[in-house]
Amino acid sequence: MSIIAVYNIKGGVGKTATAVNLAYLSSVDNGKTLLCDMDPQGSASYYFRIRSPKKFSSKKLLKGGKHIEQNIRGTDFAGLDMLPADFSYRNIDIALDDFKKSQQRLSKVLHPLQSEYERIFLDCPPNITLLSENIFYAADYILVPIIPTTLSLLSLKQLFAFLDKIGQRRNKVLIFFSMAEKRKKMHMELMQAMQKKSGVLHSIIPYLADIERMGIYRQPVTAALPASVAARSYEKLWNEICDYLAL
Amino acid sequence: MQGPSTDTWFMPDTLQTDALISALSGAFGSVDAPQYSATVVYADTFDWRLFRQGYILHCHGRAWTLYHGHNGEVTVQQAGPDLKRSCMSQDFPHGKLREMLEPLLGIRCLLPLTTISITGRQIRLLNRDEKTVVRIVFEEQRLAASGPVFRLVRLFAVRGYDEELTRVRRILAEKGVTRTASPLTGFEEGCKLAGRRPLDYSSKFTLELDAGCTAREAMVRIYRHLLTAIEKNIPGVLEDLDSEFLHDMRVAIRRTRSGLSLVKHVLPVAVVTSFKKDFAVLGRLTGPTRDLDVYLLQQHDYLARLPAALQPGMRSFFADLAIKRQDEQKKMVRALKAKKNKAILKSWKHYLASEDRKPAPLAGMAVNDLAGQIIFRRFKRVMKDGQALAAATPDEAVHALRIQCKKLRYTIEFFSSLYPEAGIQKVVRQLKKLQDILGVFNDLSVQQQMLRHTLEVLEPGTRHHLEQAAALGGLLHSLFGEQQELRNHFAEAFAQFSDPENTALFIDLFKTTGEAP
Repeated sequence: MSIIAVYNIKGGVGKTATAVNLAYLSSVDNGKTLLCDMDPQGSASYYFRIRSPKKFSSKKLLKGGKHIEQNIRGTDFAGLDMLPADFSYRNIDIALDDFKKSQQRLSKVLHPLQSEYERIFLDCPPNITLLSENIFYAADYILVPIIPTTLSLLSLKQLFAFLDKIGQRRNKVLIFFSMAEKRKKMHMELMQAMQKKSGVLHSIIPYLADIERMGIYRQPVTAALPASVAARSYEKLWNEICDYLAL
Repeated sequence: MQGPSTDTWFMPDTLQTDALISALSGAFGSVDAPQYSATVVYADTFDWRLFRQGYILHCHGRAWTLYHGHNGEVTVQQAGPDLKRSCMSQDFPHGKLREMLEPLLGIRCLLPLTTISITGRQIRLLNRDEKTVVRIVFEEQRLAASGPVFRLVRLFAVRGYDEELTRVRRILAEKGVTRTASPLTGFEEGCKLAGRRPLDYSSKFTLELDAGCTAREAMVRIYRHLLTAIEKNIPGVLEDLDSEFLHDMRVAIRRTRSGLSLVKHVLPVAVVTSFKKDFAVLGRLTGPTRDLDVYLLQQHDYLARLPAALQPGMRSFFADLAIKRQDEQKKMVRALKAKKNKAILKSWKHYLASEDRKPAPLAGMAVNDLAGQIIFRRFKRVMKDGQALAAATPDEAVHALRIQCKKLRYTIEFFSSLYPEAGIQKVVRQLKKLQDILGVFNDLSVQQQMLRHTLEVLEPGTRHHLEQAAALGGLLHSLFGEQQELRNHFAEAFAQFSDPENTALFIDLFKTTGEAP
C-alpha cells in the first residue's frame, strides 16, 4: 500500500515508459496496481489504448470517491487498472485552487483507493506547479528518471530546493538513470560520480529502440517483449526498488 | 469496488464455439489465446474449511492453485506436495500459499474431492482501439473417466467497459446461450459423484427440530444425526487421516451418551441402560489415542515454554509419545473393526428405526416442554455447583463443574432450533466463556498429572531419561504457573455467567412450570 510518483521537471526523460512498465511489473508480482495518468497529454493512457471517459475531467478527479471509481478502467492485464488522463488536466491548478488545503487534495482523493490497490503509480506531467506539490504530498516515494547530463543535475537541484521549501523530506526521492548511452563518455562519467550518493539507484535504463517503439505496439515493453534488454532493464530496476523500499 | 464479475452459461448442445465467435466478430475484434488443458484434483478438508471461507483449491500434479470460488479470481498459485491420500498445510513449502493455508486448515488435512479434466480457450474481445473490453472463455469440464462433459461459456468483465459487456451478453442470448451455470459445475457434479456435497459436514451440531413433534420423535432424530456423524468419521479414523476425525467421532459418542443419561423416560429404561453401556465402551476404546493426540498437538506450545537447553529432552519425550500413539491407534483400529463393537452401531441404528412396543412414560410429551425442563434442570445444577467456585477450589471440583457445563451445553445444542436464535446465541456465548476457562484449567491439570505419572515410571540411570526428566520438570513448572494464574479468574468468569441479565435470559427461554432457579 504505497503511492509512487514518477516525476521529473523536464520532459522526454522516459517518465511515462517507466511508470507504465513498473506498474505492469508491480501488478505481475506484487498485487493489484493502479496507474494514474496525471499528464494531460495522456501518453500512459495511450500506451494502454484507453481513452479518457466522456464525462471525466479534472473536476471529477478532485471530487474523488465514486467520481474516480467510475472512471477507472481495466487494462489488458489482469491486476493492473488505470485512471486515464483527461485533457482538462491542463488547467488542474485552477481547479485545485478552489479547495481548502489545496496542496493536500490529491492525497485525500487517492487515500480511499489504497484499500483496493497494493500500489498506486502516478505518471506526472513535467513542471513544478500546485499539482506537483500535491503529488509530492500524496506520494510515499518520488521516482525521478534522469538523463545523465549536466542540465539534468540542475533540474534535480531545483527539485530538492522545492521539496525543502514545501517541507517535504528529501529522502522520498529515488533517482535512476534513464536513456543512458554507453558510447557517450559524459554519460558514463556522470553516472559513476552520482551512483555513490544515497538515493541513487544502480539499475540503469539504457536508450533503446524497443522502448521508443512502445508507441507503436501500445503495450508495456515488459509485457510485449519480456525477453528483450529493455524489459530486463525495467525488471532489474523494479527489483532494486522493491529491495530498496522493502516493498 | 467489487472484483471482476463473471457470467457463466451452459453452451447449448447444438451451438458450436466457432459459430458464436463469428457472431461476436461483427461487433468486436478478437484475439485468441493458446488453448489450455489440465487435469486437476480439487481438495478441501473433510469439513470444507476452504469452501466455507469462499476458497477453492486444486492441484495439477504439484502445481497448486487457490482461488476465490465466487468470481474465479486466482489468489495464489504455487508448488506444493503431491496430493495422494491426504496432506497437511505443513507439507507445503514455505511461501504465500502455505501462509494462507495454515490458518484456514488448522490441524485438518486436505483430502482429494474429485478429479476434473478441463480444456478451454480464452478470447479477448477488442474495441476499435484494439483494447480488450471483455474476455470470453469457452471451457469443457469433464468428470474423470468418461464421465459427463459440461460445456461452459464464461464472460470476464474488464473494469469500466460495461456497455461492451452488455452487448456481448445480448449477442450470447440471441444465439441461445441463456441457461446460467455455476463456474464450478464440474467441481460440484464431481463431488456429487463421489457422494459429497459442499458443506455436507460440520463438526457443529445443527439440527432443525419440528416444534410440534413428540419427545421421542425429537430424540430419535437427534440420535440419528449423531450416529451419522459417527459413521461419517469412522473411515477417517481408521485411515488415520488427521486427529479431528477421532475427535469429532468421540464428541458425537459423548453427545449420544449425554442424551441417554440426561433425557430420561423418553426411551424405555432397558434400551437406555444397554446402549449407555455400549457407548461407554466406544468412548473407552477411543480414549487413549485421543489423549495422546492432545499431547502431540501441544508439542509446539510445550517446546516454546522451555529454554533451549531443555528442549532436546522434550523432543525425545515427544518422539516416544508418537511411537506410543501409533501403537494405541493400531489397537483402536483393531477394536473398532471387531465384530462386537461394530454391532453396537448396527443395533443402535436398527433400534432408532423401530418403534417401542411399550413406549416410555414421557415418549409422547411435546418436545417443547421436555426441552425446557431438561435444559433448565442443567442450568440450575451449573448455578448450584458454580456458586462454590473460588480460587481455592480443588482440581476435581473444577473438573466436575466443567462436566456440568458440558452437559448444559449439549442439551442447549440438541434443542436450540426450538428457541429464538438471538437468545440461544447469547446464552451459549456466556456459557462458552465459562467453559473456555474451565477447559483450559482442566487441560493444564490433566497434563500435569500425565507428566507426573511419566516421571514416576521413568527409570533413572540413562542420559536420555535424565534429559527427559529435566524437560518434564521444566514443563511442570510452567503449566503449574499458568494454572495458578487461571484460578484468579474463576470468580470473575462465573460472576459473568450468573449475572442477573444472563440468569433472567435462561429463565425466560427455558423455564416451563413453577420451577425456581
